[in-house]
Amino acid sequence: MLGNLWRSSVSGLLVVSLFGMLAPSLIAQTAGEGVLTGRVTDPSGGAVANASVTATRIDSGQKQTANAGPDGTYKLELPAGNYRLTFEATGFKTLEISSATVNVTVPEVLDGKLERSEAVNSNLALTQQENLPNAPSSSMTAPSLSDLGLSPEQTRGNPQEQALLDKRTHMLKIHQRMGLITTIPLVATVILGPGAGGKSEGTAARDLHVALGSLTGDLYGITAYYAIRAPRIPGTKKRGPIKFHEAMAWIHGPGMIATPILGIMAFDQKNKGEKVHGAASAHGPVAIVTAGAFGAALLSVSVKF
Amino acid sequence: MNKRILIVFLPALLAALPMFAGADSQWLLQQSTLTYHVSHPLHQSEGVSHAAKGKGVCHAGQCEFLIAVPVKSFDSGDSNRDLHMIQVTRGAEFPLVTVRTRLPESDATASTINADLEIQFAGQTAQYKQVPFKLDKQGNEIHITGTIPATLTDFKIDPPSLLTMPVKNEIPVRVDLTWHQQ
Repeated sequence: MLGNLWRSSVSGLLVVSLFGMLAPSLIAQTAGEGVLTGRVTDPSGGAVANASVTATRIDSGQKQTANAGPDGTYKLELPAGNYRLTFEATGFKTLEISSATVNVTVPEVLDGKLERSEAVNSNLALTQQENLPNAPSSSMTAPSLSDLGLSPEQTRGNPQEQALLDKRTHMLKIHQRMGLITTIPLVATVILGPGAGGKSEGTAARDLHVALGSLTGDLYGITAYYAIRAPRIPGTKKRGPIKFHEAMAWIHGPGMIATPILGIMAFDQKNKGEKVHGAASAHGPVAIVTAGAFGAALLSVSVKF
Repeated sequence: MNKRILIVFLPALLAALPMFAGADSQWLLQQSTLTYHVSHPLHQSEGVSHAAKGKGVCHAGQCEFLIAVPVKSFDSGDSNRDLHMIQVTRGAEFPLVTVRTRLPESDATASTINADLEIQFAGQTAQYKQVPFKLDKQGNEIHITGTIPATLTDFKIDPPSLLTMPVKNEIPVRVDLTWHQQ
């Protein structure tokens, strides 16, 4: 009995270890360094020498700056992750790129086209306006935002909230991808379930069932982590399919904890040569309800009901 | 003699100045419905806002219009999608969509107009030329309907994706506005 348990645990660990090796590439490659490069240009495409390019890591706020060379090119060597970029140069408007992903495999190329600041491009703006037959004029009668009765709070941007939204989206994208990946071993585990029930003489089917179940549990844990840790946006009232999606989590979450516990009990009874009995006999039904709730949660945000 | 002329005409001249400096007429946005349409391989969705504010100022036969709508006011019926839209359009950093246009005052009597629009959104400015709109004038009110052929690339917005599939680049915005002449 102990031998069987050991064998299945080893195979389970092997699958989990294999996933452990693959996980970094799945989760946007969180380890290692990547290259972010590009060219900073003016509106005509000419190089902007000495432009300052700052990359701010979205999750930690860590900053790294590089200056563009005479040909406008810059290069930053950064740990893999998601960054906000700021391009600055004298006589130009600051350009911000809210999200750029750096990975270790392929250099990320991101060019910055800078607009000239107001004082420099006022003539250009005038020319553009004249080209447009009934474009807004700069006359004194043109209404302004203050004429519309908008408060400063309504017109002022909030970079902190934007950073929070960026982080939320980044984490939920990983949540979504991991959820899709988790579906594969989850379905396989459920399909192999009846075979692992002990009708067959050997334990290979049972071992595979345990291994896939372990993998599903680990992937599910990572999926849940990214949903739970994604920042909440203050003042947001939940509406629509996301409510159903979250309600399903209250079923598949506890189910994902109960299923392996009941499975271990069933596994133990089976290996003793006993018929699965008591609470352990709920392993199968609980697993099916859990998988069903997981599938419904997935569908609720993918297909419009 | 010259002084006398000045004394006689100066009050009249001063009284006339505000007429030249001020607007001939104004239009206020009374009701609005702006609807963006997003296409995804799995489904279509729409976000609606009724929160636009607008004003038109007419002077010397030309009217200048400004419409502003908070990005956060668009409701697609799904708070998760709305937050995602706010994120990709940088709606927290640039909280308003503004539309400016200049039209001849005589257009108020037409049944269709073609307007050149300047739209600021997501920190970018895009110009749309000759966008057709239908007009229906009843008394002091004008009802305007039309569709702005906006795209994500016009505003350098990365297409949001669901299940790793991005939405289409086209995000036409249906406009339904009721203006009241002051």
